[in-house]
Amino acid sequence: MRYALLLCASLAASHAAAGVEDALTHDILPGFAGFTAASTALAEAAGADCTAPALRAPWNAAFDAWTRIGDVRLGPSETGALSVVFWPDARGFTPKTLSRMISGEEPAGRDLEAFAHVSIAARGLFALEQMLYDDAFAGYESGSYGCALVQTMTADLAAQAGALESGWRDGFAQVILSAGEAGNATYLSPEEALRAVYTQVLSSLEFTADTRLGRPLGTFERPRPTRAEAWRSGRSLRNVLLDAAAAKDLAVALADWEMPATEAAMDRLEQVAARVTDPAFQDVEDPAARLRVEIVQQHVRALHDAIEQELGLPLGLTPGFNSQDGD
Amino acid sequence: MTTRRAFLASLLAAGASPAVGWAAVGDPSYLAAAKLPDGSYMLAGLREDGSEAFRVPLPARGHAASAHPSRAEAVGFARRPGTYALVVDCRDGAVLHRLTPPEDRQFNGHGTFSPDGSLLYTVEQRVEDSAGFIGLWDAEANYTRIGEFESHGVGPHDLRMMPDRQTLVIANGGIQTDRWDRTKLNIETMRPSLVYTALDGTLLEKRDLPEFSQNSIRHLALRGDGLVGFAMQWEGEPGMAPPLLALHRRGEELVLCEAPLGDELAMDGYAGSVAFSGDGAEIAITSPRGGRLHRFSESGAFLGSVSRDDICGLASHAGGYMASDGLGGVMLISPEGATPLRRAEAAWDNHLVPIRA
Repeated sequence: MRYALLLCASLAASHAAAGVEDALTHDILPGFAGFTAASTALAEAAGADCTAPALRAPWNAAFDAWTRIGDVRLGPSETGALSVVFWPDARGFTPKTLSRMISGEEPAGRDLEAFAHVSIAARGLFALEQMLYDDAFAGYESGSYGCALVQTMTADLAAQAGALESGWRDGFAQVILSAGEAGNATYLSPEEALRAVYTQVLSSLEFTADTRLGRPLGTFERPRPTRAEAWRSGRSLRNVLLDAAAAKDLAVALADWEMPATEAAMDRLEQVAARVTDPAFQDVEDPAARLRVEIVQQHVRALHDAIEQELGLPLGLTPGFNSQDGD
Repeated sequence: MTTRRAFLASLLAAGASPAVGWAAVGDPSYLAAAKLPDGSYMLAGLREDGSEAFRVPLPARGHAASAHPSRAEAVGFARRPGTYALVVDCRDGAVLHRLTPPEDRQFNGHGTFSPDGSLLYTVEQRVEDSAGFIGLWDAEANYTRIGEFESHGVGPHDLRMMPDRQTLVIANGGIQTDRWDRTKLNIETMRPSLVYTALDGTLLEKRDLPEFSQNSIRHLALRGDGLVGFAMQWEGEPGMAPPLLALHRRGEELVLCEAPLGDELAMDGYAGSVAFSGDGAEIAITSPRGGRLHRFSESGAFLGSVSRDDICGLASHAGGYMASDGLGGVMLISPEGATPLRRAEAAWDNHLVPIRA
């Protein structure tokens, strides 16, 4: 047994630097560059035509790009991601803040610099979703305050994307790659950096199962369809699949071996997702529809478990000692 | 063969003091429990530079330990349900005493010694309804139980002796739990409270959190002038981003310490430890779930964050704070940032307990 433990430890040690560098250069950094490109395109589109119908396609493209790296909550993304995707919004901050800004025509809505300091609930993809899809907001016309606000919001999103991309490329990437070197107080060894990225894979899948799917499912007696993520735009199921695929791809980038069970689990997840009748999960009050969403949830968890088996176990990585244990 | 206990008894009979001070175990400043790579548990004494003064085995994972102020003895509480506590000799890990709470009581978190080391106060709850009690044990008489009084709240978790040495401050977590499986029974109606009592248990002051009644008050930090900091754990709906730290001074209103919304969300509604900085000018909380530490000024203003996976243990240090984590890291945290002091092949448990604090 001790021999096995030593083998695991040395596997982790030899693998740590290579796997993390692969994940950074082939997955994470290109993902942030892609999000910058897509959100810049959205801002440019808003400059040409600010109305909601014109912006839905580029907004969706930006959201698709975000899912590649959105759940990697390390370094600049630890708090920076929350002003890109402020969700769940348990206290209803987003509609409250948007209503207040619009009814008062607050100057920050026309001022990119000032807008960076408004509540994070009024920034990012979900605030934009309400402007583009919610009947309470989406009817704004060209030249109105709402139009200017959307232009500011998209420009702010592009600026956030650029800041995240450079924060990763020119800053945090070095923290990860210098794990274990003197003066690195974030990662005291290469294995710690590997563990940190691996943990993002698992927590993304946990968030998808427990929150993206668990929140609208609620309880059998009381499903909560409007607690689904991005239900207004009908992206709820799409986000589940894209986020799961991104987590799976990051896991594969971390490993330099085949992960057949993981790939099979992803395939099965896509198969059961195809049977969901409403991609916004608005029909979960119907027991049959609910069951189909529950099956998706089970398959997200199965993907999580497959990655634990095929990546975490061989690397000897286990969940945090304190974070898993309340006191 | 002379047993250790008989040997101690003979020393007592001879009039010599058997008490061994902390200097005899390498003069540590902190106690820290940990899990070792082989799955066993230990209690270590750490110095301010992060070096290990001693390490002794523990029979099981403990809750927080309490350090005797002068003798090299630590009390480790069994994890929930708290059916026993062990007094451990820090020279060799020998279990000197096993404390068992009365039949309808459970240890429920921390304990603290009186400043002279003669009494041990333990936080307990009544098994049937989680009503809080403080147990009193005579540390000069083989830790005999000598009394108890109410904590004036439900589910207490931590307590400290105030600097006046005449007052106890108690964190009543507010959570009622099932006696067998520890299921939380009253999340919708819980009422955590901060309570001050006289040493005979008389209630002197009680504060609650009407705005955030689902914020369980768990851990306490104390400054020399009587300023109390308390760390909280959110039991309500996720994503509400409540403040996780508050400050209180006797007779005054609570001061909630709020971080910017994004930082607050990143803490994941959970603070595991709280401590004042060495100079007392600021206070910090840790969140192992968020992998973050948040610093606040003595008036409650947010000062900044430090990111470190599984960070939890936290204590005052001459240079700021000492922090420990489940990856084995021991860090010095100062306003300039974090400096690793060491990395042990051990997963440090929830708390760093100051000795002679």
